Amino acid sequence: MTWASLVHVVISGLATGSIYALMAIALVIIYNATRTLNFAQGEMLMVSTFVGWTAMQVLQAPLIVALAVAVIAAALLGFVLERVVIRHAISATHFDVLIITLGLSLMLRSAAGVTWTHDEFPFPSFFSNRPLIVGPLRVAPVSLGIIGASLGMMLALGALFRWTRLGRAMRAVAQNQRAARLMGISVERVYSSSWMIAAVVGAVAGVLIAPVIFLSSKMGLVAINGFTAAVLGGFGSMPGAVVGGMLLGVLENLAPLYLPASIKHSVPFLVMITILIVRPGGVLGRVARRKV
Amino acid sequence: MRRAALATGAVIVLGWPWAAPRYFVFLASLIAVNAIVAIGLNLLSGYTNQLSFGHAGFLAIGAYAAAILTIRAPALPVPVALLLAGLVTGAVGLALGVPCLRLEGLYLAMATLAFGFVVVEAILNLEILTRGNDGLHVPAARLGPWSLATDTARYYLVVAVASLLIAAAVNISRTRTGRALLAVRESEIAAQASGVNLAAYKTLAFVVSAFYTGVAGGLFALVVGFVSPDSFDVFLSVDFVAMIIVGGLGSILGSVIGAALITTLNDSLAGFQNYRPLIFGAILVISMLFMPGGIASALRRIPGAVAWPPFTRRDDR
Repeated sequence: MTWASLVHVVISGLATGSIYALMAIALVIIYNATRTLNFAQGEMLMVSTFVGWTAMQVLQAPLIVALAVAVIAAALLGFVLERVVIRHAISATHFDVLIITLGLSLMLRSAAGVTWTHDEFPFPSFFSNRPLIVGPLRVAPVSLGIIGASLGMMLALGALFRWTRLGRAMRAVAQNQRAARLMGISVERVYSSSWMIAAVVGAVAGVLIAPVIFLSSKMGLVAINGFTAAVLGGFGSMPGAVVGGMLLGVLENLAPLYLPASIKHSVPFLVMITILIVRPGGVLGRVARRKV
Repeated sequence: MRRAALATGAVIVLGWPWAAPRYFVFLASLIAVNAIVAIGLNLLSGYTNQLSFGHAGFLAIGAYAAAILTIRAPALPVPVALLLAGLVTGAVGLALGVPCLRLEGLYLAMATLAFGFVVVEAILNLEILTRGNDGLHVPAARLGPWSLATDTARYYLVVAVASLLIAAAVNISRTRTGRALLAVRESEIAAQASGVNLAAYKTLAFVVSAFYTGVAGGLFALVVGFVSPDSFDVFLSVDFVAMIIVGGLGSILGSVIGAALITTLNDSLAGFQNYRPLIFGAILVISMLFMPGGIASALRRIPGAVAWPPFTRRDDR
């Protein structure tokens, strides 16, 4: 194995890794607001990507329209799901809300299958497929594009959390809901915006990854790797989500080089089990300590 | 009243193969198998609050253990094969349960989910034993002089084992152990303060749950006659969770009702594969929103209804 091909593997690993990171961020945003693991995250991504794609097909419009429509659809979907379903269960236990999002994910996937069939569709990409050749290095522009766009998205989110009123409110709610409410923050509004922002992050990730893994009702499964990434970095931490996602992407691409090829699909699960057993707080996180 | 209800139930269950068409005898066997899994899962999730999305993995281990035993050692009596299937699965449950003690809530759900995937991958890769994707045909098992070759014979076997395990579960729930498990569910801290050894009881719940599911897996292999990795995907784990949610967390009667409902529903929706998850998801969401205690607690609220569920979940929030 030459170092050039190693660089190639690592870069494509970072590309899938940034998608995992985006998924992990979306999950963490919802977790921080409503203390729920959103099992429907992947299906929300899938549905909004499908909606964007359909708009593009119907209007014969350029790809950017698909992205815009997907983002709007996602925000709407996130808003409606939170308002209609999750809000009613907010006083319930985690267990119950977890089951509800699980039910939602089954419903969304099935509804997508009924609407768009369970086939795989090719999805256009913003980036060309021709490899970029720099000296001995061959790099796919798709990978670089995905990494760049994801980093841009992460910076935007970082800015949102750091400098806007809404971002501060979201961080306050994540730290202590009761105190946030006493400071006059509308916690309900934070729930709503968290679900919308998470859905939008998912939609962007969906449009970025669809050219690589095809558009299909199954593409929501990518969210499982998002869970793993979030756990790997320490659930609840944004920088952890980014690091976890990148790490998982690279691991997943490197593992088949050194281990039997059939192991690739098990990598995320093995990583998840190992990290949960060895270091439940994640590589960056504090050890998850149980509170009374 | 209670005796009468039990006796009527027994007559219906025992007379079923003579009254119902052959296919429904098979379906009833599947319901009994799933009821065992649901009880096992309920002992874990309903009693000690440890949610598992990996029970399809335990079922697969039990099914493959029984299938391989029946193929390699045809002389082995069925009860021994089932017991071994349960013990093997219980051992795996111990191996998974101990590290999982450190996890709770979401983390546990994710770890068990991952466990389910890993089991399927392991089955695919251990081709010498499992023949990978091709699956294994399970020959008719023997019980003493009888060969369990008909649906009716297998039905009686499954019903016998299920009754035994249901009785055992009811008894466990009434002993010191059962009360300790319930205490763990209500408040881990209060339970610990009252001298309940948390680690021991949570691990015990894991092992017993895995044992039940392993035995059910063995029965599944015998009833269906064929095991392949496809039968044990993550959606099966979701089905099991649905059974205890719909039936009622922490209720044994509820587990049985949930298993019967979900299995029948699955079967009647077989022709509408596309809509099945849609309906399923809707059932999960609706029962969580409007009936968080499941059918068992809904029954309890009807005055004069069968006061059978022997232990009650704390009244719904």
